Amino acid sequence: MASVTLKNIYKSFGYVEVLHNINLEVDEGAFVVLVGPSGCGKSTTLRLIAGLEDATEGEVLINKRVVNLIEPQHRNIAMVFQNYALYPHKNVRENIIFGLKRAKAPKDLINRRLERVSRILELEDLLDRKPAQLSGGQRQRVAMGRAIVRDADVFLFDEPLSNLDAKLRHQMRSEIRRIHREYKTTSIYVTHDQVEAMTLGDKVVVMRDGFIEQHGSPMEIYLKPNNIFVATFIGAPSMNMLDATLFPGFVELEGQKLMLTKRINENDIPLPKEGKKLKLGIRPDFFLDEDIVGKETHLAIIRNAHIDIIEPLGFDRELDVQVGNQALKARLDLRTMAKEGETINLCFDMERAHFFDVGTEKRLSIH
Amino acid sequence: MIGKRSFLQNIFLALAVGSVLFICLFPFIQILSTSLKHQFDWGNPSLIPMKINLEAYRELLGFGKMKDAPIPDTIKRLLDNPLITEKKKDEIISKYRSTGDVFPFPRYFLNTFILSASAASISLILAVFGAYSFSRLRFKGRSTIQRSILFVYMVGGVMLMVPLYQMSVKAGLTKTVWGSLLSLLLIYIIQTLPVSLYMLGNYFRTIPYSLEEAAATDGCSRIEAIFFIILPLSAPMLVTVFVYCFIIAWNEFLFASVFIKQFHDFHTLPLALQSLFVSKNAIWDRIMSASMLTLLPVIFCFMFVMRNLTGGLTAGGVKE
Ligand SMILES: Nc1ncnc2c1ncn2[C@@H]1O[C@H](COP(=O)(O)OP(=O)(O)O)[C@@H](O)[C@H]1O
Ligand SMILES: [Mg+2]
Repeated sequence: MASVTLKNIYKSFGYVEVLHNINLEVDEGAFVVLVGPSGCGKSTTLRLIAGLEDATEGEVLINKRVVNLIEPQHRNIAMVFQNYALYPHKNVRENIIFGLKRAKAPKDLINRRLERVSRILELEDLLDRKPAQLSGGQRQRVAMGRAIVRDADVFLFDEPLSNLDAKLRHQMRSEIRRIHREYKTTSIYVTHDQVEAMTLGDKVVVMRDGFIEQHGSPMEIYLKPNNIFVATFIGAPSMNMLDATLFPGFVELEGQKLMLTKRINENDIPLPKEGKKLKLGIRPDFFLDEDIVGKETHLAIIRNAHIDIIEPLGFDRELDVQVGNQALKARLDLRTMAKEGETINLCFDMERAHFFDVGTEKRLSIH
Repeated sequence: MIGKRSFLQNIFLALAVGSVLFICLFPFIQILSTSLKHQFDWGNPSLIPMKINLEAYRELLGFGKMKDAPIPDTIKRLLDNPLITEKKKDEIISKYRSTGDVFPFPRYFLNTFILSASAASISLILAVFGAYSFSRLRFKGRSTIQRSILFVYMVGGVMLMVPLYQMSVKAGLTKTVWGSLLSLLLIYIIQTLPVSLYMLGNYFRTIPYSLEEAAATDGCSRIEAIFFIILPLSAPMLVTVFVYCFIIAWNEFLFASVFIKQFHDFHTLPLALQSLFVSKNAIWDRIMSASMLTLLPVIFCFMFVMRNLTGGLTAGGVKE
């Protein structure tokens, strides 16, 4: 186990800078997820930690030791590659134990580890096969096995589940959580899938275009996104972003007044007379049907939303509605009697809504 | 269905393929046939010997007794001259009958084998490291070096022969037999290296770099990754390159004829065959069986390569 620190990391390929001033602290035994859209520099960050890329500037520390000049083979990390990178000429067993054999581990230890890992990953019947004889999911499990069989200081996972079907992905997610609970090895996990990020990480780091946009616990990120990008990237369906105008005691949305829970202190946010234009962010899951909850005074209400489409999703139904000129999504539970083509009054807790500056896209702290 | 051939088309195809094959193979069949014929059969146009004669093979491989070379009629007439003493006669006859230097095939075979195998091994080892650095490492002047190596092929061997020989003379290598052999070895290596580098380099490029990265995270240095991952994956190509170099050296005549002509004991097979053709020991079945035996390793090598070239070793390692 070890801690990992990135200090003021810049990385350029030729003239293109792909990482800009990355700072990251990963505590001993933590499970940190790097999440962001494809091409934002997640793999590059991971490869810098592994030593497969050199930082253009800045320091990489493992166990509080600067490792910039240390070769990957001496960093004692284990990595699951985005493309598996299994040794095609070795069978599953040899693939898994290759690292242990290189480290000259005793035979009985190797056998014990192999047995255990192949049991956890359900690879027992595949040990004698070559990678070419495995399905994508099986290969992914072998790649995983090759990493976790070792006594590495840090596990690095690069989108290890991207190639699995939904069911297997879910299963492997639980498996990874269980493995981490058991081994407590410091893990850094890269994914573009925000669900994976939210379910796996103790800490989530959201990246975009080579910048870290926000880091924190999954709940912090979900409930207090720093900016519009994080707010819309995390959570599915993504957060509604509505054009609205802020006044001291209320927000105006398409001519409707939505009351704030408390008046804005005008020293914090200077408000012009005609109000401040901003983005109002509400997650679809936070809407309620007024017909079901009844008149509760502390909730804000969007009235006469016109229902375009209702998608039944089992327990939930997802509504595409139109308020004035703006579209939004709402996820209501199955009690709602709403029908397509009719109108609905949607309630929400104003404390759960976010306000974002139109120019900087940053969240304004109003609550 | 697209690409489905009719019966007639099939027949034509078979005929066409068959005739090309026959034209290609005819010289070899001729060699084989003649090597198995008895003397009375030599002039016979049939490819099938009337009676199989294995004497020549036996003799070359050292199982049988050397056949006496026929004594030319002029010499016979000379021998009939009563003025020549018995002792003198015996001397003349034994000179013609002496079999010691007729054609020590095993010796020539061994010479050629050792020379070709060493050239091929060294060329292969150099090619592995050279091709690896061309395909994986970044250094100043890489592409210039890579291209200039192909210059070796721009100039034909004949033109290089005199300068190369002079270089060896100046270096004092041609004074001894070992020096001459060393020059020859170096020339074979230099001649085969460009293509070896090219073939191996292209093959290495098909091996995903992430396999080496995986090996690095598994604790391998670069050299270890080459030995544990790259080389096993390249086995078919390594065999092919080795065989290519081996055959080039095995069949090479020009340089051998210049550098080691004077050292009879160290002749290679092409050189020895040529001497055999023009010697008094040139008997058809002997010539042809010697040719056949020279061909044999080449044929064997080709079959070996074809079995190994089915390839596909890197399949399944990475997600495409
Ligand atoms: N070896 C490379 N050479 C040049 N550009 C690269 C290289 N590797 C990655 N990049 C660029 O760096 C950016 C980040 O890539 P990457 O870290 O792979 O993104 P992610 O893993 O988040 O999808 C991309 O714009 C990509 O094109
Ligand atoms: Mg990536």
